[in-house]
Amino acid sequence: MSVSPPRLQAVAVTKSYGATTALENVSLDLAAGEVHAVLGENGAGKSTLVKILSGVIAPNSGQMRLDGAVYAPHSILHARQAGVATAFQELSLAPNLTVAEALLLPAMKRGAFGLVSPYQTARAAAEILHRYRLDDVSPIAGIASLSLAHRQRLEIARAMHYAEKVLILDEPTAALTDVEWLFDLVRSTTAAGTAVLYISHRLAEVRTLCKQATVLRNGRSVASVGLSDASDADIFELMVGRTEMAHGRRTHSFARETRSALELNNVTGAKLKGVTLDVKEGEIVGIAALEGQGQRELFRTLVGLDKATSGQILVGGKPVQPKSPRHAIAAGLSFLPEERKVEGIFSTLSTAANIVLPVIQNISRTGFVWPALERHSAARASEGVELNPRYLDFRIADLSGGNQQKALLARAMFTGARTLLLYDPTRGVDVGTKQAIYAAIQAFADRGGSVLLYSSELTELTRLADRCLVLYGARIFEQFTGEAIEERALVAALTGHSRDPAKSKREAAA
Amino acid sequence: MTEAHPPGATVAPAPRAQRQTERVADNRRTARLRPETITAVCVFGISILLVLGSRFVSPALGSWDHVNTIILLASFLIVVAFGQGIVIMIGGLDLSVPALITLGGVLTTSWIDASSGMSLPLIPAILLICACIGGISGLGVTLLRIPPFIMTMATGIITASAALGLTSGTPRGAAPPILTALMKASWIGIPVILLFILAFAILGSVLQGRTSYGRRLTAIGANPVAAHVAGIAVRSSVLIAYMLSAAASGFAGMMLAGYANGATLRMGDDYLLPSIAAVVIGGSSILGGSGSFVATIGGAILLTALSTVISALGIPQGWRTVIEGSIILIALLLLRENTFAFLRRRLAR
Repeated sequence: MSVSPPRLQAVAVTKSYGATTALENVSLDLAAGEVHAVLGENGAGKSTLVKILSGVIAPNSGQMRLDGAVYAPHSILHARQAGVATAFQELSLAPNLTVAEALLLPAMKRGAFGLVSPYQTARAAAEILHRYRLDDVSPIAGIASLSLAHRQRLEIARAMHYAEKVLILDEPTAALTDVEWLFDLVRSTTAAGTAVLYISHRLAEVRTLCKQATVLRNGRSVASVGLSDASDADIFELMVGRTEMAHGRRTHSFARETRSALELNNVTGAKLKGVTLDVKEGEIVGIAALEGQGQRELFRTLVGLDKATSGQILVGGKPVQPKSPRHAIAAGLSFLPEERKVEGIFSTLSTAANIVLPVIQNISRTGFVWPALERHSAARASEGVELNPRYLDFRIADLSGGNQQKALLARAMFTGARTLLLYDPTRGVDVGTKQAIYAAIQAFADRGGSVLLYSSELTELTRLADRCLVLYGARIFEQFTGEAIEERALVAALTGHSRDPAKSKREAAA
Repeated sequence: MTEAHPPGATVAPAPRAQRQTERVADNRRTARLRPETITAVCVFGISILLVLGSRFVSPALGSWDHVNTIILLASFLIVVAFGQGIVIMIGGLDLSVPALITLGGVLTTSWIDASSGMSLPLIPAILLICACIGGISGLGVTLLRIPPFIMTMATGIITASAALGLTSGTPRGAAPPILTALMKASWIGIPVILLFILAFAILGSVLQGRTSYGRRLTAIGANPVAAHVAGIAVRSSVLIAYMLSAAASGFAGMMLAGYANGATLRMGDDYLLPSIAAVVIGGSSILGGSGSFVATIGGAILLTALSTVISALGIPQGWRTVIEGSIILIALLLLRENTFAFLRRRLAR
């Protein structure tokens, strides 16, 4: 390493949202011309780190330095002016702009009378596009008309154009087909002295580009490793950590004859590429997947929020084509949605009303709601999830996130459905609530109910699932049963490493 | 727990659950007052103070007669605001209110001959026509995803034009006796309209607060996405809301026709903004998802009382409207939930 100060230095950066700490005391050194990887599971704090470095959010404490000078960006634009540019995972190009505007805003080229000149702007944009080998993109095309892959390239090209000192690439290959294009450009960027922070799930890519990696786990930086010295297994171990499980693991096995509560045969559409799975009665089937592998679409298709184009869904042996969540509930599928605030709670209603709402017609007599009956039903439903009945009369908005989640789980169970579809049921809840939710899910399965459970936390799946399926590239990639559900194996499968080496290769080639 | 038992079934209550309920019922008393209740009490309280205080303006005011006049004049607004309140509850807005009031009035006087006995079947028929026009607004909002603002404005314009065409510009006829009786008769000394408004208030509150349909409306207004995910039939509920609003406006038109014993083509014009104001003064969120009909009635009475008192002040019309508008603005600012939350925090300290 050189004697000059690092290009970008972060010292003890901490960020917390309320009670949850997203990032704790993370430090990072980036030398000029280096490509540095950041690795970690979902929720390890990678995105928070990117947001802080790129000026989207400010850290609660800690300091950042750019070429030795204090660097405290208060906006993306401010960071860009300082020479730090980011290509975001959720692409940040406004769909109603043209390519040229997206590249050059806010500094559009001016013509006569100081007015923006579309011609000059397009010409300048065309030059940039040419420099980044994007000649097939017209500068006057609308962003909305571009394919996802082109949008990602444009996002990357824009970041490279403005990254005089530091370039941050957050999952840059998520939608890319031509990875070599990116690698070549990253190499020429570093040759010019720019430091690159490379965030990716894909270890193979990281090995090609980077020498050094920082591993994040639960918001902390657990190691800075030289990639040439560390095997894949070492890195997975660092990402996952030594697990303190061993308690409460389910040891059910299901005979082939056990009836299936839910069966999917080659379900395709809404991004899904032929998903086949089944959930037996009394079984908890876990779904493990990295962001964007089709898990959202899988659950949304099952409740009719997305439409399948082909394939078959059987509920209790009968074919069902879910048209709407209402229809799915009637068929016996109950869904706990991903985003509590957006898809779950009715903030102005009481907790009791929130719980019984989907089946309000069942607990009303000739259309009238009897408050005593409603409260009674809600109390019974909340018993199963250990929700204190004291909260039933409060507006649900006044409850903590954990209690809201318990109420939503009670709602899902109270529909009388025999199959629960739980999408990340413990996202952002405290440990005590997690235990209550686990207990409720297990009790539901013990009573003969079936559960399809997606979780972004692998410990949850190893603890709860009787069987665990790994989604990769919008299809079922691997299946683990019983004792074989083990974190390290799951992490490997999540990134497309099969236990069967031939399969891994096929997948890598695809 | 181990027996064959549907996993989350809604089965008959177990004795243990019964005890649970009693405990819950006890806890309810410790739960705080609902904001809707506070708003309703405030709005009615202000109205009573206003009426009592109006004695200082003129000796003719503040009397039982004055109260009766206010109720009579407010009755139209209460009926319109019931429908408007339901549409606002689901996060919409009904701008077709004036046109439907006019249509209801015009159809009543031109179809129902004052002397014929056809009024009993024709009144529901006219309400049904109005509801169907509301249904068109509802279809536009749900199926075609046209913003409620635009859609109801369009149906309003079309309806008003149709009323103009139907009457060739001059509405004829008089109101049937049943409607004039509703507005003007008394029963053992109590005005019929007062009894009617009482009954309407009870039915309206029950519909909004105590039926599964009312519960769905609140849920849709609070969070339409979550309502869909939770399995609520959002489209049909919204459609019915617009139909109810149109029928309510149509009925207000009939009441106006009964009151004036005739209809005009502009009879609905003065009710659009007051219908929205009554709902909002009654503490409902203009964005939907909260509100109570009782408080809306309070809002309608407050608005009407205010205008009777101000018109007795003997100031020029322009300034009258300025004062009225300012008072409504102040009421809106003060009656917000934030104010109550603030007061509650202060009192708790």
